[in-house]
Amino acid sequence: MRIVVCVKQVLDPELPQRDFRLDPDGKEAAPGRASRVISTFDEIALEVALQLREKAGGGQVTALTLGGKPAEEALRKALAMTADAAVRVDDDGLGAPGEGLGRLDGFAVAAVLAAAIRRLGGADLVLCGRQAADTDAGQVGLLLAEELGVPTVASAVSGEPAGEAVRLKRETPGGYEVVEARLPALATVTNADVNVPRIPKVKDVMASFKKPLTVWTAADLGVDPAATAPRVALRRLFIPERETACEMVGGDSPEAQAEALAERILALKVLETRGWRHAGAGLRFRPGGGAGQAASGTDRRRPRPGGVPGR
Amino acid sequence: MAAATREVYWNVGPVWPMYLMFAAALAVFGHGFYHRHYKLWRLGRAERRGASPRERLRGLALYALAQLRVLRDRYSGVFHLLFSWGIAVLTVGTLVVMVHQDFGIPVMRGRFYLYFQSLTLDIFGLLAMAGVAMAAAKRYLIRPDRLNTNAMDGLALGALFVILAQGFALEGLRIAATGDPWAAWSPIGSAIAAGVKALGWSVETARAWHAALWWSHAALAFAAIAALPWTKAFHLVTGPANIYFRSLEPKGALRPLDLEASETLGAARLTDFSVKDLFDLSACMECGRCQQACPAYNTGKPLSPKMVILDLRGHLREAGPGLLAARRRGGAAGAGGGDGAGGSAGAHAGAGTGGAAGVGGVAGAGPQAGEGPSPLIGQVIAEETLWSCTTCRACMTECPVFIEHVPKIIDLRRYLVMERSDFPPGMQEAMRGLEARGHPFRGATASRSDWYRDLGVPEMAEVGDAREIDVLHWAGCAAAFDERNQRVARAFARVMQRAGVRFAVLGPEENCTGDPARRIGHEYLFQVLARQNIATLQGYGVTRIVTACPHCFNTLKNEYPRFGGEFEVIHHSRFIARLLAEGRLRLSDGAGAGAARRLTYHDPCYLGRYNDTYDEPRAVLDRLPGSERVEMTRSRDRGFCCGGGGGRAWLEETGARINHARAGEAVGTGADTIAAACPFCLMMLEDGVKARQGEREVSVRDLAELVEETTRPREAGKGGGGGADGEGGGGGGH
Ligand code: SF4
Ligand code: SF4
Repeated sequence: MRIVVCVKQVLDPELPQRDFRLDPDGKEAAPGRASRVISTFDEIALEVALQLREKAGGGQVTALTLGGKPAEEALRKALAMTADAAVRVDDDGLGAPGEGLGRLDGFAVAAVLAAAIRRLGGADLVLCGRQAADTDAGQVGLLLAEELGVPTVASAVSGEPAGEAVRLKRETPGGYEVVEARLPALATVTNADVNVPRIPKVKDVMASFKKPLTVWTAADLGVDPAATAPRVALRRLFIPERETACEMVGGDSPEAQAEALAERILALKVLETRGWRHAGAGLRFRPGGGAGQAASGTDRRRPRPGGVPGR
Repeated sequence: MAAATREVYWNVGPVWPMYLMFAAALAVFGHGFYHRHYKLWRLGRAERRGASPRERLRGLALYALAQLRVLRDRYSGVFHLLFSWGIAVLTVGTLVVMVHQDFGIPVMRGRFYLYFQSLTLDIFGLLAMAGVAMAAAKRYLIRPDRLNTNAMDGLALGALFVILAQGFALEGLRIAATGDPWAAWSPIGSAIAAGVKALGWSVETARAWHAALWWSHAALAFAAIAALPWTKAFHLVTGPANIYFRSLEPKGALRPLDLEASETLGAARLTDFSVKDLFDLSACMECGRCQQACPAYNTGKPLSPKMVILDLRGHLREAGPGLLAARRRGGAAGAGGGDGAGGSAGAHAGAGTGGAAGVGGVAGAGPQAGEGPSPLIGQVIAEETLWSCTTCRACMTECPVFIEHVPKIIDLRRYLVMERSDFPPGMQEAMRGLEARGHPFRGATASRSDWYRDLGVPEMAEVGDAREIDVLHWAGCAAAFDERNQRVARAFARVMQRAGVRFAVLGPEENCTGDPARRIGHEYLFQVLARQNIATLQGYGVTRIVTACPHCFNTLKNEYPRFGGEFEVIHHSRFIARLLAEGRLRLSDGAGAGAARRLTYHDPCYLGRYNDTYDEPRAVLDRLPGSERVEMTRSRDRGFCCGGGGGRAWLEETGARINHARAGEAVGTGADTIAAACPFCLMMLEDGVKARQGEREVSVRDLAELVEETTRPREAGKGGGGGADGEGGGGGGH
């Protein structure tokens, strides 16, 4: 089975908030001292691909990225995880230079990646992370399937070969679902306990520096840079202002402090009370300072985008 | 008096059969020595351990002759000293007989005969017997957990006792039968002679008994020598040798691993260990002192350093001969090196096509010798055993014959981590963090510069040249990312500012020193981090570094030199002690001064046992006004680990917790403040104290915090530099 995994290099999503900066023109996150890593779900997709290769008892896993020279680090990482080949499509001259994160939209990225996959001679299976850790757009996988004209399975967590098809386990809101997709196909991948990315063995890390890396330009792929102009423009990127005020509650004893704290909370009217002092019942928490909506329905299974999944 | 002597070989007839017996004993000894030990050692990789013979001989005198390590257990040390020296002196006495009679050099006469050959031998013989009795009492009556007793032990002690008793009986019979005029110089022999007389034995009876006893005495003694290689007593030979060949490297420096040249990274099989590692196995006499000191063992973890050694030894004896045979066969092919499965190594050719961007000169995959299952890990030593070690070094500090447990454990970890990518639960995230962010604290929300943001501490990038500062403050990851330790870092920075020290930090340019990576077995990651840090430090021309973290301290001081980073590294306890001694800090009426306080100090392993720093932190504490210091029972080089070393700070602990145990000991002293000098100890102990909630209120404080609250900010005039003392407005989060 020939598998292509699309990987994107992003700024470390675990960068402390304090260190997160934007470029002065407000179109891109400033790299600063943040390290660059493979986008979280893409790394997981790579893991799923490698596991598939193992289950199939052979095959070829190619890591494909679109980006500048620094993105080769992500490919090295993929090679260290034992991907068989790595291709970088240089993004020089593509899209709308100067637009930062808005330089290329999902359509353009999908078109370029599709051209690269065709140039590779096609693939039996293409895997993409379900969304990028920086933009969270979640579009490229689906658009790429469209470009390639192959069926898509979203939110897969693992797969195994099934003759002319691939059997994929995918996450659904209530649990899992197993589907079979005829090859060639594309799947977007999400996190699960079974696909925590492997830590490469040291020998594989050292070997990855010796493995060849293919670099193509848009011209190599016959992509017209003009056709990659974004159809969705980024207007503004900003860090939301968050105001926090800290207030110390006094009191000489723990009891007095608790009393003062309770009074203060009541005064702030974030709690609804129904004689709670006596009954101890009817205490309801209303998030948002009494906006009245119930605190239920929070999707707790949804991983924090860019957070480390699998926990 | 010049005539004083006795008839040598009296009543024994021709002595040549004795020499024949001796020769036979030596032959058996030699056979056991070769087959049970020597040939197996040669399975190990070559390792040179001969340099600095002077220092080695000094160690031999201290630890083999004076037996200082053995004496760390007073009772056992005393009896061991008694019978080992007793036997040594009696052996010399026996050799004197040989020299006198068989070499024909008449030494056994006059004063020497009386003082040494008679009186001294009698006394030492008696002491040796007392020693054997004490040993038996320890083993059979006191029965400490550290000793496992089997039939061999009883046999050995019994034989020793009988041999000694026979000696005295022989002397008594001889005196009784010959009416030796110098008998008074052999008090015990005389007493026995008196007994023989009282029994009314005739001279003939005494002679007959004497002859029979003499030959059985010789036979038993020779049998004991012949049996040595099969018994624990073989440490008589290997112990001193192991002491002589002990490691003279800095204690805190693990042996480096040549990542490019090593066929297998770490130890997967016996042949991956060095000759010295295998020699160690022959030196262990199963005293269990290592186990008794081990924090993991003491809290019910599946690790006993003694069993690690014994299990490896058992495996060596079982599998060694097969490996040797395989090597002989393979050796003919001229391959050399790897044992066993080495043959079918599939070479991962790294064909560098298209001028690929070769990052760093790292040699690619050679033959994949490291692949495949390890016959050791899982089979002989469980993975959980390996992960349980805190690398506290208590075992190595106790072992009387300097067996090196930690390097073996680390080598086995190296294999798991680097060849198999097999991490203990929890460690994976720390390693990913180290790789991607240069620190092991997952999900840290702080940045490296948070803790000093409002303190006016300059970064090296602003200072530019290390000549502008007195010392570089290496904060370490714990200080940067752990909220509690940020407070320590702030306190220490203020202390330095108050003393007028000109210092700077690397801030965002600092990476983890690599200590957790190295000790969990990830040598590659350690070396990457070490090289980066060394380059950064050298880029600024840094020569002096102060740090509050003993792990950083140890790594910077003892491990970086191997990678070209030579710096003067000072731990903050010593640094503060010096500032106090020089009068640059005045412990006066800071907010915390004057309050009466009972302190106990917890020795961090990497400051104490690894770097012999015990007194400076105590000196600092003793200067705090109003403070009284009490010691825990296990302190200084016997200090009990907090449980946080060797990467364990990132791992879940099962069962009884080491930090809870240690916190209990500290609280048990009646102290109201536990003083720490290590960020990890601080975290672990604070956690341990919290777990004992409901008892007295006990706080855990770093030295720097205690000093900070008893010193005052410098007057507005300020001097030197180092920035303003950020106390005024709303500084620390106290
Ligand atoms: S280093 Fe400490 S934890 Fe590890 S085996 Fe030795 S005594 Fe036990
Ligand atoms: S390793 Fe050393 S301390 Fe441990 S049992 Fe053996 S001889 Fe004793």
